[in-house]
Amino acid sequence: MSLKKQDDMDHNAWLKSQDLTAIETVFLTTLIWLDKRLRIVDYLELLETMYYRANLQMPKSHTEQYDLDNKFWYWYPLYSLGSLSIIAYLLAAVSGAMLGFYYAPSTAGAVAQGDPTAAYDSMVMIMKDVQFGFMLRSIHRWAAQFMVAAVFLHMLRVYFTGAYKEPREVNWILGVVLIALTLLFGFSGYVLPWKQLSFWAAQIGVELALATPLVGEWAAQLLFGGFTLGQATLVRMYILHVFVLPFVVTSLIAIHVGIVWVQGIAEPH
Amino acid sequence: MTDDTTPTADDRTDEQVRTDGGTDEAARTDGGPPATVPPDDETPTWSERKERSQGLAQLTYQYFERSRREDEDLRTESTYVERDVLGFPTWPHETIRNLAITSFFLGIILLVASILPSHFGDPANPGSTPAIILPDWYLYWSFGLLKLDPINPDLAVLGGNIVMSNELLGLIAHGAIFGVITLVPFLNKGNARRPVEEPGWAALGVAGVILAITLAALAIQNFFPVQLELLFSLVFMLPVAGGVVTYAVLKTMREGYMYDLNRRYYMLRPPK
Ligand code: HEM
Repeated sequence: MSLKKQDDMDHNAWLKSQDLTAIETVFLTTLIWLDKRLRIVDYLELLETMYYRANLQMPKSHTEQYDLDNKFWYWYPLYSLGSLSIIAYLLAAVSGAMLGFYYAPSTAGAVAQGDPTAAYDSMVMIMKDVQFGFMLRSIHRWAAQFMVAAVFLHMLRVYFTGAYKEPREVNWILGVVLIALTLLFGFSGYVLPWKQLSFWAAQIGVELALATPLVGEWAAQLLFGGFTLGQATLVRMYILHVFVLPFVVTSLIAIHVGIVWVQGIAEPH
Repeated sequence: MTDDTTPTADDRTDEQVRTDGGTDEAARTDGGPPATVPPDDETPTWSERKERSQGLAQLTYQYFERSRREDEDLRTESTYVERDVLGFPTWPHETIRNLAITSFFLGIILLVASILPSHFGDPANPGSTPAIILPDWYLYWSFGLLKLDPINPDLAVLGGNIVMSNELLGLIAHGAIFGVITLVPFLNKGNARRPVEEPGWAALGVAGVILAITLAALAIQNFFPVQLELLFSLVFMLPVAGGVVTYAVLKTMREGYMYDLNRRYYMLRPPK
């Protein structure tokens, strides 16, 4: 008898004895390799059980039970507006990440007032020199605008179908936060090219912040990096636009959709 | 009993006196076996946990127990009809449908992006204010709220001076709008879902949408050949008009509509 431990379950020998195609062999080898290390078969089994529990029997939906289908099928497209917001958001994220390779958040380079800054120049460079850059910027802008439009309409859909009522109040409030953040996303992005309209939109922002009672100056410092616009403002808007907001908005969307998943869609009746 | 599993030194019969005079138990530094694990693998029920705890934890278990019982009662008295899956299969139906919607939507964005490229203006110049300052279209309504100065209240005591800066008035208007929107679920309760069932709330919604549009028009007032006075009145009159019309239409529809709906719906599920 050899000293080597006997393998009761010699998967490799079993594999060899099978008559498998190349794809099947690769698949099984990978599966066995992973399973020996991570016990994925256990988890797959759990998933499968959950899948069958969740799907084999479903309660009759309200619509089916009261035979209301003929009354509101034409509202169905409005129920895709939330998903359309997410799709537009993803497209904006991807095109934004690509713009980020070329954009420089800096007001350096202007000798006299009204001269182009580094930020402005990098936008011009994107539009004129970068392959596909003009289209890229256009896609990013339009994806953002489609997202805002979809979010507005989604909110109207929720309002006019009364979908915010108990138990969905929390999701409505989350939604209000989300729409505010979406608009802030748009505003902070608008400032980045540091063109005339960007600058003066930000100027109005500072004036508004300063007009707030009690916390005005503090808010202006925090959001705009001071009372007059400059490098600090641009960098703050940049960090807000490409770092803070993406994390916050993505997490909030995940929670928002998670709650919809748990509570189910409110059916009209 | 499952509660009292905390081992004490006297319970131990197999304790060895060690050579230094102490016991194993006394030399332990890990605090001994956990106190709360029941001796077998039975999980304690909510009531058992309730008895074993106190204060907030006990209240929590008390509530869990009630809610568990409520669920069970509801389930036993329910006449809910269960059915085997009758929906569309995920593959291919749902998947293809979702892919179709997604690619259609992405396609439209790309199409629009390629035929309507974005505006790009002059570089920022802190020294010269442009004649027209505008954000993107979706913030026009917000910008319009900053142009409410004609209705900023002035007081005789202040010698006709305005009570607050126009910026602050705009901020307060924003706060009021977001506040009202946030409160909607707490103001409108009940289980009505259709606009016809609640014409008042539907009218409010329509008025809100029209207000957003008229405020946007106020923001770009420079482009309108109307007098500012007139525009300003329209900003507030049009939403009211829209609301009234919506209310009237829905009320009228309700008559004929609710009859049918009532027959189908409330007969099957009589109101409590
Ligand atoms: C970034 C913005 C948002 C995203 C990505 C988003 C996404 C979604 C999605 C995917 C759904 C599933 C149902 C559907 O698609 O219609 C949903 C439902 C819901 N959303 Fe949003 N949403 C956003 C903003 C909002 C806003 C602004 C509100 C309202 C103030 C809101 C309130 C709700 C409510 C109450 C539901 C549950 C509706 C139901 O059960 O029928 N959401 N959201």
